[in-house]
Amino acid sequence: MRVLLDDVSKTYADRSGQAVEALAHVSFTAEAEELVAIVGPSGCGKSTLLNLVAGLLAPGAGAIAFEGDLPPGRPPTAMVFQEFALFPWRTVQANVELGLEEAGRPAADRRVIARRFIELTGLGGFEGKYPHQLSGGMRQRVGIARALAVEPAVLLMDEPFSALDAQTRQLMQEELLGIWERTRQTILYVTHNIHEAVWMADRVVVLSRRPGRVLEIVPVELKRPRTEAMLGEPGFVHAVELIWGRIRSQARDALQEGRE
Amino acid sequence: MRRLVAALALVSLALAAAPGGAQPLPKVKLGVLKLTASAVLFLGVEKGYFKEFGVDPELVYFQAAQPIAVALASGDIDVGATGLTAGLYNIVTGGVHIWIVADKGREWPDYNLSALVVRTDLYDGGVRSLRDLRGKKVGVTQIGSTFHYNVGRYLEKEGMTLADVEIVPLQGLPALNDALTARRVDAVATAEPFVSRLESSGAGRVIVNTGDTFPWQIATVMYSDKLAKNRALAVAFMRGYVKASRTYYDAVIARKSGPAYDELVALTARYTGAAPELIRKGFPYQDRDGRLMPGDVGRQLAWWHQQGFVKARLTEKDVVDESFLREALTLSLGFR
Amino acid sequence: MTRLPVPDRTRALTRRRHPVARVLGLLALVLAWEVLTRTGWVPPLFLPSPLGVLASGAEMLASGELAVHIATSLRRIVLGFGLGALGGVSVGLAVGVFSLAEAIGNPLIAATFPIPKIALLPLLILWLGIGEASKVAVIMLGVFFPMAINTYTGVRHADPLLIRAAVSFGAGRWSVIRKVMLPSALPMIFAGLKLGAGTSLLLLVAAEMIAANSGIGFLILNAQNLMETTRLMVGIVVLSLLGLASHWLLVRAERAALPWRPEV
Repeated sequence: MRVLLDDVSKTYADRSGQAVEALAHVSFTAEAEELVAIVGPSGCGKSTLLNLVAGLLAPGAGAIAFEGDLPPGRPPTAMVFQEFALFPWRTVQANVELGLEEAGRPAADRRVIARRFIELTGLGGFEGKYPHQLSGGMRQRVGIARALAVEPAVLLMDEPFSALDAQTRQLMQEELLGIWERTRQTILYVTHNIHEAVWMADRVVVLSRRPGRVLEIVPVELKRPRTEAMLGEPGFVHAVELIWGRIRSQARDALQEGRE
Repeated sequence: MRRLVAALALVSLALAAAPGGAQPLPKVKLGVLKLTASAVLFLGVEKGYFKEFGVDPELVYFQAAQPIAVALASGDIDVGATGLTAGLYNIVTGGVHIWIVADKGREWPDYNLSALVVRTDLYDGGVRSLRDLRGKKVGVTQIGSTFHYNVGRYLEKEGMTLADVEIVPLQGLPALNDALTARRVDAVATAEPFVSRLESSGAGRVIVNTGDTFPWQIATVMYSDKLAKNRALAVAFMRGYVKASRTYYDAVIARKSGPAYDELVALTARYTGAAPELIRKGFPYQDRDGRLMPGDVGRQLAWWHQQGFVKARLTEKDVVDESFLREALTLSLGFR
Repeated sequence: MTRLPVPDRTRALTRRRHPVARVLGLLALVLAWEVLTRTGWVPPLFLPSPLGVLASGAEMLASGELAVHIATSLRRIVLGFGLGALGGVSVGLAVGVFSLAEAIGNPLIAATFPIPKIALLPLLILWLGIGEASKVAVIMLGVFFPMAINTYTGVRHADPLLIRAAVSFGAGRWSVIRKVMLPSALPMIFAGLKLGAGTSLLLLVAAEMIAANSGIGFLILNAQNLMETTRLMVGIVVLSLLGLASHWLLVRAERAALPWRPEV
């Protein structure tokens, strides 16, 4: 399924009632089964963008649309959150089943489907555990399983591994790509980590400081499956430098202003 | 530091060497209820009878009889003048002495302090005696109170026991009125002025007047153990009390009218704030010399014990000490 | 070359548990109390002896008297607590979830909450009589408020992230209420229950001190009126045991209902 963003702008009122322009005239298209990363300096509106696509924010100006076949019973999007957003009072199994409940699946089906994705994400044996008993990496696996279980056409990932330590993050990135080989959704992947963006994505959308505009869309010329060795390849390094070059001064300005 | 000590020493010396002159009279704290029943004490205080014998009385007001007994036990007051309750006897059982020393009010024929008031609708329906109240709810202030005792004695007169009615403690006299008026109980054992209020409001009718039915030693003057041990002071107070008692008797009991009577009514009205008509109805009977009704305290002790409200089997000599009164009377021999 | 050992800084950090001291301390206190009463310095009126209290309690238990009082009081508490908790949770939920209910309910609750429920007792007796209704009602009122306020707070403090997550998976309003707000509020609801349990005991005793002829509060008041301080102590001991028991029960219930809470 393709995701089309056509001249999307979004303004909202902040706490003191001031109008804040988060996004300005963002346009790009994510192709079916493509992993598109979105990076930018602090406050560039990348999370806002994701929430718009998820329907969690009221639409602003412009249009967002999905193009392609959507089998019945499958939602267009499902989200994976930076802080995991698991229900502490639900076991792993129950957490993964959440989306299936809302989709109206009968209990027996839910159990089976959830188990499949629990196995897929390496959570086998932990079905009965509560989130507080799991490490950060495990918790995000639950978050991913939960999102995958509803088999969305588009997977929205909002800095999914930012809350994890560097080592876990590295492993989880590899895991995700491995899972994605099997499930093949279109993925919109928001991150502040340029290395992560380039290593994961087919293309990287670079946003400017607030109000977020598309500065550049950088294609990544690396083959799949991605390997650690590629981290040293010129194609990788070049892409990273290009992106950092585009946003470096903006990032500095954002730091100076001290605003988020 | 040294200067402070020196200053304190100087001050205490100065106080100790205060010029001689009128030594203040020893104070005696006197616990009473702010009711007409305490008239004899108001009289004694107002007319200076206690000061005459070298005692400076300080009136301390209470809302009910039981707290006075407690205050005597804890030593907060030296003299109490109020009704006799099971609680008081239990204080003695509990190892603290309180001494009953003189008469301060008896239920007596024509001098009714309390009554059994029944609901008007039940009265109209034929409930005229305790027999008709079998199984019904009778309100009292507290378990162990004089009203509780009254009900027990009313029942005994009819050959019944406390088990034949349902005693409902309502904690206060106004609550008894409310309960009877609202028909939550069938009868109440209460005192003036509440009896008159119930009758005038039409909520209740009197079926038993206590004094007319069985006289008893309902209220007395009591000494704390501390005062009792101070013989001189205890007797001095008693002499003042005897004078007050005789004056009271002559004004109220002997004559029932006249300038002394009116003066007492006015005095009582000043102390209690009650209306004169009610005051006239509320003067209790007591012995002219303040003597106790012989044997009645013993009878009360036996009754409470039998009913299970006083565990120990006390006798009169455990709680009564009329020696102060006797000594005071001897000293006052020849005085009116 | 000299060697230096690592300086021991643990003394300032450790906090010992002293399990033996806990028990011994209490025992020593009771023992001292017993000895004091036996010396006769203090009349039994002021300080009943622990053994005397135990003996009196045993006697009251054997005669069945204590059982009657406890049963009566329990009946009143369970009813009042149950009704108050139910009402409080329902109202708290409604006010927490529906903005209109919040707009109406919050000022009402804020206005009525500070009224000491004991002060309402005479009014309740006027309206409901001197029987069971007024007693249960005052307990109910006393439990209602902490339950309503705690439930409301629990609901309002439901993690907005979790609500967003639920909505992102297609949850509608009712789903969010059932699946996020209610479970989020449960810890606060249990906190309210523990608070309410204490309040209900207090109000029970107060209610039983006005127009009752059985119950632990009545027992205490009766003993006080008759100056039977030993029986008074029995009543107080039973009361505190009731308090302990209800707290223990609630803690167990909370653990069973909230298995996902990491043990504090």
